[in-house]
Order: sequence, then C-alpha cells, then structure tokens
Amino acid sequence: MTRKTLLLACVLLVGLGAWAAPKPGGEMVIGFGTDPESLDPNKITSAPAGMVLTHIAETLLLMTEDLKVAPLLVENWTISEDGLNVLLYVRKGVVFHDGAPLNAEAVKVNLERFRKSTYAFLLFPRVNTIDVVDEYTVRLNLDKPFAPLIAHLTHNFVAIVSPKQIAELPEGKDIAEPVGTGPFKFDKWVRGDYVRIVRNDNYWGEKPYLDSVVFKVVPSDATRLVLLETGQIHAMMRVPPLDAPRVAATKGLELLQIPSVRTIYIAFNYQKAPFTDVRVRQAINYAVDKEAIVKEILGGVGGVSDAAIMPLVFGHSPQEPYKYDPEKAKSLLADAGFPKGFKCTLYHPTGRYMKDAAVAEAVQAYLLEVGIEAQLITMEWAAYLAFLRKPVNEATFDMFMLGWGCVTLDADYGLFALFHTSEWAPVGSNRSFYSNPTVDSLLELGRVAPDPTSRKAIYASALKTLWEDAGWLYLHYEGQLNAQRTVAKGLIHHPREYILAHKAWLDQ
Amino acid sequence: MHILKRLVKHRLALVGMWVILAFLVVAAFAPQLSPRDPLKFSLANKLKPPSAEFVLGTDELGRDLLSRVLHGTRVSLMMAVVSVALGLALGTPVGALSGFYGGAPDILTQRLVDILMAFPGILLAIMVVAVLGPGLWNTMLAVGISFAPTYVRVVRSSVLEIREREFVEAARAVGTSNLTIVRRHILPNCLAPLIVLSTLQMANAILWAAGLGFLGLGAQPPTPEWGTMLGRSQDYIRIAPHYALFPGAAIALAVLGFNLLGDGLRDALDPRLRGRL
Amino acid sequence: MIQYTIRRLFLAIPTLFGVTLLVFSMVRMLPGDPAQAMAGVHATREYIEQVRRTLGLDQPLHIQYGRFMLGLFRGDLGTSIRTGLPVSQEVWSRMLPTLELTLVSLFLATFLGVAVGVISSTKPYSVFDYASMFGALVGLSVPVFWLGLMLMLLFSVRLGWLPAAGRGGPINLILPSVTLAASSVALVARFTRSTMLEVMRQDYVNTARAKGVRQSTVVMRHALRNALIPIVTIIGLRFGALLSGAVLTENVFAWPGVGRLMVESISARDYPVVQGAVLMLALAFVVINLVVDLLYGVVNPRIQYD
Repeated sequence: MTRKTLLLACVLLVGLGAWAAPKPGGEMVIGFGTDPESLDPNKITSAPAGMVLTHIAETLLLMTEDLKVAPLLVENWTISEDGLNVLLYVRKGVVFHDGAPLNAEAVKVNLERFRKSTYAFLLFPRVNTIDVVDEYTVRLNLDKPFAPLIAHLTHNFVAIVSPKQIAELPEGKDIAEPVGTGPFKFDKWVRGDYVRIVRNDNYWGEKPYLDSVVFKVVPSDATRLVLLETGQIHAMMRVPPLDAPRVAATKGLELLQIPSVRTIYIAFNYQKAPFTDVRVRQAINYAVDKEAIVKEILGGVGGVSDAAIMPLVFGHSPQEPYKYDPEKAKSLLADAGFPKGFKCTLYHPTGRYMKDAAVAEAVQAYLLEVGIEAQLITMEWAAYLAFLRKPVNEATFDMFMLGWGCVTLDADYGLFALFHTSEWAPVGSNRSFYSNPTVDSLLELGRVAPDPTSRKAIYASALKTLWEDAGWLYLHYEGQLNAQRTVAKGLIHHPREYILAHKAWLDQ
Repeated sequence: MHILKRLVKHRLALVGMWVILAFLVVAAFAPQLSPRDPLKFSLANKLKPPSAEFVLGTDELGRDLLSRVLHGTRVSLMMAVVSVALGLALGTPVGALSGFYGGAPDILTQRLVDILMAFPGILLAIMVVAVLGPGLWNTMLAVGISFAPTYVRVVRSSVLEIREREFVEAARAVGTSNLTIVRRHILPNCLAPLIVLSTLQMANAILWAAGLGFLGLGAQPPTPEWGTMLGRSQDYIRIAPHYALFPGAAIALAVLGFNLLGDGLRDALDPRLRGRL
Repeated sequence: MIQYTIRRLFLAIPTLFGVTLLVFSMVRMLPGDPAQAMAGVHATREYIEQVRRTLGLDQPLHIQYGRFMLGLFRGDLGTSIRTGLPVSQEVWSRMLPTLELTLVSLFLATFLGVAVGVISSTKPYSVFDYASMFGALVGLSVPVFWLGLMLMLLFSVRLGWLPAAGRGGPINLILPSVTLAASSVALVARFTRSTMLEVMRQDYVNTARAKGVRQSTVVMRHALRNALIPIVTIIGLRFGALLSGAVLTENVFAWPGVGRLMVESISARDYPVVQGAVLMLALAFVVINLVVDLLYGVVNPRIQYD
C-alpha cells in the first residue's frame, strides 16, 4: 500500500466514523504516565502537560495529525520577501472562556509574556519586536530570516490564554487554571491523580461531543494497561510493546501504532580518540544490528534510523543503511589500528526512552563481538543531563545514548542544536562536540533559505554528510503504541505524543 | 554449646540454615553449575518459556535465565554481606561509645539516629544513589549507610544495660581504661543482638538491593543481579511470567532463609531480644 | 499525661530541625539542577542560568538555608520550583492519600496480624499455625511491586471484583492497602505468636488455668493483655516501614500520594518540595511514635508518665 492509499484509507475511516452519527455526552477517561508539572504555557516543559493544555488553550497555528500546518487562532499568515516580517491575521469572533475577546492585542500580550518561558527559544531572540498592526493583525519583526518560525508557532507550549487572566495574575505567580479559547474548559486538577476538563459550549469551531474529559495519571505502564482492560479508562498512551499482540487480540480493545518524532542515538565524544577516526565510527555503525533491536526489543514499534531525523520531519531524506556486518566492522577497526578493538564507556539513561537500558545492553553485546569492550553506566536522569552538559575539556564519556524529539517537525530543530559547532555543550545541546565546517554552513543556510525546495536540498546534503561521517551510532526512531477501548471513537493520536479528544465521542 | 543445641532443636532455624548453605554452595560453584554463559545473548531466543533447552527460560535478550539466577546468587549474597558489614562497622562503635559515655554526645547521636530513622529508608537510599551514581558498590554503600542507625540504636541499648553490671563495675574498680572496658567487656556481650540483627538485616539488604535494582538504580547490566532482573521483568510480566517468577523466587527464598535463621538465632541466643529486633 | 505530651512535642523540635538540615544538604549534593531537569534535553544554558538566578540557587548555601528556615518560622515552606505552587499546598494534598493508605494498612497489620498470631499461639504446631506462619514468611519475603501486580491481575482482571488502581471510594483502598500491609501483617503475626507463647508459659497464666478459668478468657484477659506492650512497640516501628513501602505501592496503584511526589521531586530537583515533604513525614513519624508511647498507658495503666 502506498502512502497515498494509506492516507485515503484513513480519510475513509474517519468519514465512516463521522457518518455513524456521534453520540453527544459522557465522560472520556484517558490514561497517561506523568502528572503535568504545570498548566501555565510559560512554565510547562513536558508532552503530557502540553496534551492537557492544548484542549484548553489553543495555539496560533495547528500541526494536524498528518503533519501539515493549518490555521487555528490565526487564519492566515504572510512572510515578507526578505523574510524579516511575518504578518499574522487573527481569527475574528473568538472569545476566551472568561468572555474576553481574542484580538491582535491579546496575541501580542501572550507572545510578549512568552519571552520569559522555559521554551522561549522557540521564538526568541529571533523575533525582535511584536507590533499590533490593526485589531486583528499582528506583525513579528525578525533580526534574521528564520524559516522554521511558522512550524514553531504550532508548538503546544506557545498557547494563548486570556489577556484578562494575564493582567490579573499577581507578580511572580503562575497560571494554575488556564483560561483559553479551546473546545474544553478547565474544571479540576487533583495533583498526582487527574485533570478534568469540561465542554466549552461557546466554542468558536465545531463543538465537542463529550461533556468532559479526564486525564488520569497512572505512572506504571503495566497498571495503565490493566485499567484499560478493566474499563476504568477509555484510552491510554504507552502500551508495553511486547504486550501489543495480546492487546490487539483482545475483544473490545484496539491497538494503535502512531509514529513519534523522537530519534534515539548513541553519540561519540568527537574530540577524543579513537572516535576522532571516521573508520572507528563507521565500524561501530556496522557492528550493531539495528534491525534486530527494533524487531526483538522494541517489538517492531518505530523504525531503524535512516538519517539523523525521522522520516516525517521536513527536510528528511533517506540514506544508504549501515547493514549489520561484523566482519566489515572488524576490518575497519583493523584499518584504524584497532585489530583487537578497545575499551570504552557507554552512558545511558534507564526508563527514559522505550526499553533504553535493554537497547544499551544489546549494543554492548554487539560491540563486544567485534572486540570493543564498552562499560555500561547508567545514571538517574537529572544527574545524567548534568553530566552531559560539561564543557569539552571536562567531558569524560566516550559514548552516550540520548533521544531528541523533533517536535516542530522541521529539520532545523532536529539538527542545528545537535550538530552545529556554536552549540557545543554547555552552551547548547551539541554534547558530543561534533564539528564539521560543511555541516555548520549547511545548517546556517537552512535557516535563512527562503523557499521549501531549496531548504530541502540543503538538508539533504547535510544529512548525507552526517551519515557518511558516521556522526552518531544511528539507532532508531521511536513509535508510540497507544490503545483504546472500541467504545471510544474519534480520538486523535498525534505523532507529537498526545491524544486529542476534541472530536471524540463514546459509543455506548 | 547449648546455644548450638537450641538452634538445632529449632526446626525452622535449621531449615533456614540449610537454605543459606545451599545458596552459599550455589554461589561458590555458580560457573560449574550454570549450563550456559550468563552473558551470552541471542535476540532470536528472547523470552522463551522454560524448556529442555533453557531450563528456566530466557530473558529479554535471550540469555539463559537459570545461569543468570545462579550467577546472581554471588552478586546478591556479596551485596548483602558487604552492606550489612558496612552498617555494622559504622553503627557499632558509635552506638557503643554513645551508650557508654552518655551525656551530650549521646543525646546528639540519639537525635541524629531519630533524624535518620524519620526518613523513609528507600528515599535515603535513592538519594545516596543519586549523589554517587547507580551501581553495585554504590548500592551497597547506600544500603549500608541506611542500616547504620539501627545498629547504633541496638548496640546502645545493649550497652546501657551491660554498663551497670557487676563485671563492668569490677573492671572499672581495678582501673581498666574506658576504651578497654568497651572493647573487652561490653562489646563481646553485645554479640548476641548483633548476630541476630545482622542475620535479619541480610534479609533486608537483599530486599532493598532488589528494590533499588527494581528502580534501575542498583547493580548495572550485564551483571546478573536478582533485583535488577526482577525490575526488568516487570515489563514482561503478562507475556513472560517466568521471567519475574524465578529471580523473584530466588529473592524470596534467600530472604526467607535469613529470616528463619535470624529468628532461630534470636530464640537460641537471647529470647529477650524479641521486642527489639 | 498532657504535660508529658507537650514535653515530647517540644523534644521533637531539635529532631525536626536536624531533619531540615540533613535534607537541605542532601538535596543540594545531588548533581544536576531544576532548570536542567525540567527542560530536559532541550534546555539552553541561558535558560538554566536564568532559572538558577530566579530561584536564588546562585546564592551561597548558608544563605539559602537561612532563607528556608526564616520562611519556616513564618509557616512558609516555600514554592515548588516545578509547579510554582506553594509547597504546603502541594505536600498536604498528597499527604492525605498517603496517610489514608498507611493508616488503613497499619490497621490491617494490627488487627489481622494480632488475630492470626493469637489463634496460632493458642494452637501451636497445628495445621493453622504452620499454614499461617508459612504464609507470614512468604508475605515478608515477597517484593511489594510483584505482589501488587499479581493481586491486581487476579482480583481486577481475572475476577473483576475490585477496581485495579486509582483513588476513589473505600473499595479502591482494598488492593493497595493489602499489598502494602502484607509484610507488616506477617511481621506482627509472627511476633504476636511468639510473644503470646512466652506469656502463656508464665506462672500467672498457669495459675489462672488451674483455677478453671475458661481458655478464651485466659487468652484474652491474661495473656494477650500482657503481650500487648511489645506488640504495640513493633506496630509503631512498622509505620516507618509502611511509609517506605508506600513509595513503591503508590507507583503500582497510581495512588496520588506523597511517596510518589517525593520520588518525582527528587528527580526534578524540586528542592523545596523534597524538603517540605520530608519534614511533614518526619512530623508524622514523631506524632505516631508519641501515640505509641501514650498507648502503653492505655494498654497497661501501671505505666506512669513523669
């Protein structure tokens, strides 16, 4: 089946679903793993928090589930020739849950407030100033062209809340109960337990069918699955991959595999021998059987990486795979002067990514077969991040495993911070101290190139260079494994790792 | 001699002793007893149920579970011994001196022990591991440190009791130095509670190390350690129950052994300890 | 007795003070910082620096501690770094579910444990005795998370009798509290049995028997009453263990308690919440110990508080 027919099938299914006359009313319960840290757009940092918030406070632009940018609170936008001015035309007739109207001023107030956000870097400092042109037009003035900006405006965290709420917020306080324009209104949040939202009867768009939605916090994956099976929840995220066949075979349950935008990789310490030698890096890529890891450990969820970003991201182009070939790996190592391999360290997190520790263990075993003795070291997550943020002269690791979610679905977000020389830790996220003048200039070009076609070409050659240079031990991109009860209809399981209940209903 | 006799008469304690002896034998001869290399992986054989080929089945990387459980005996027993020894070494001198001298240092120590005991143990261990980093040795350190307060308390209360006895008075009367009194007269008399406590703490050490391993903070792979194995197995509990069962059973059996022996020792050595240990 | 209570509470102040100092220094020894922990892999250095300044984490430690203690005297536990909410509110809302769970478990441990122990001791070496004591040993040796999941699979998935997880009505309490209480029930049962056996060998029990007092009266009035003091002691000691076990139980049963909050806060480096939660738990601990001491008096009126 080609991609087109697949999409068509999806559309047909959705069409059929809609045709089966949604029933209004009821409460849908969605199980997820972590309590939101906050529901203040300026404070949130996690996908689960973004999921809840996006039902209440909408973004200016929408990233649809088939990964296209669509209008939401902004109906249309234009970018000037030189790429330095972006005009946003705000939707008319939209009111916040507290009755305040949505207009250009409200958007400006929100964006200005976002300067102090955790994720401010999505917009600032690229955006210099923000002007209100007329009641429904906002202009963003940039210092340099920044092509990914439109994609960044779809990020869940750039959510718009009532200007009245912002004005009335005491200094230094965060928003606890967000007032947005969304299809649902905030109702109740019992910390560590659940967040409840209720239907917004004055919603500007298509009104939701459900009376309310409960996002229930269930930290253990196994427990969450039990809750789904016993009917205490209607939908859940993160089914343990090896339980998938059982879930799929269970009557009344439906298994859903959705792509995720997170790439999992093992990076080398680029400034430390023997990883300075491209042959060693290539050898390591040949030594590990990624296909087997994805199939056997991840239960076939996700896919083997064919570039530094996953296939759905704008700018992706597939590269020639490093086929599992221990003999080739050995001969490359011999060429590089390590016929008997060498010893090194491999740092990895535990419980952060799907089966991360088991994957690290498998990599260790594969490397051992070509003579590389990697010592596995795991750390508690916060300590791990701190450890990987040391400047180059203090970094002690040889290899480390990490994941990067390219949430804006634009190659810039997935490459610049990880490979550009100016982003070397501790300044940015180039923790492996990768440095390659060709890659640097391509990544800079990708930011300012005006049209999508030329950007695509630029990223294609950047990805090719990174691949041939064996910039990482390329592992895999993750997939999401969600499940729902068959009575739950119309839920959208989004590649950005959230479930959307806007158009959902209960068939009971 | 009568202690040994009483112990032998204590049927359950005897069972415990045999269990522990069996584990010691397994630990000593793990490589000889194991049918396979506990580290040899083969993804194609993952999560196989018990069969003639793999007696206890395989884990998520296709390693032989029997060999891993057998080798795990070494790791788990060593962890238990080292952590208990550490708790003992840290806690006993502090408890003895604090109990013997009394006064302000004693009050201070007691408050310190109160403080440590008011802290849920597993959190203390989690924090220690977060500071030092996970791993076999750091787990032992974390568990050992968390055990120390109990030793302080038990030794101190024994010392308080012994301090007033006649032979201590006598030693003091002939001018024996305080340190010698503690070393020669008091500590030997604390031996009974220390032996009992240590045996029981062995059981706790195994459980705690398993708890840390369960959280992914214990011994690091590919080291076969029961707790880490059990922690890993929770993801597969519905599709490969054998994976959780055997490391879990090994933990339970070892803990049981130490508990039984500890109980028996307590009854044999000093039944009065019951209220305290 | 009231005087005694007040004095004990005052004596607890230095302990609580020490707890704050210990926790304060421990959480600050942890590598990593809140900004980094929150923003994760995507954090920029600028942002990390900014947060560090806003939170006053760039100040010397003694100043930070001084601020914390000053706040404490004003009844202010500070603000959560991760959520921006007052710590007192955060901790208190998560404390209630934990207290609910641990107190129910303590209750179970006491009544079930004492009942099983007493019955076992009246018929030592009987089938019931062996079965229950063996059961108790298993209960002591089985890891909490394993037991929890197994109970859930049996009673919720297989039989469909009980809700699998989550907080709600009293029925939701059954599985988590049984799981949490298991090892304590076992311990109390074993302990009650051995203490009872010993007490029943005493002269006054024999005398009572010789006088023809009914067996049940002997057990209840003479033996159990005297066995209760050590039993109460051991139950008091179990409270700490229960709180420890609650961390794992809350995770398995999606229970919104303070144990989970603490683990989450440690990994988020949310210093004020860790400090606040530990302080509250230490307080609970002190109070429970006091209650146990006061119970001695109820159990045995001859004990004098001076």
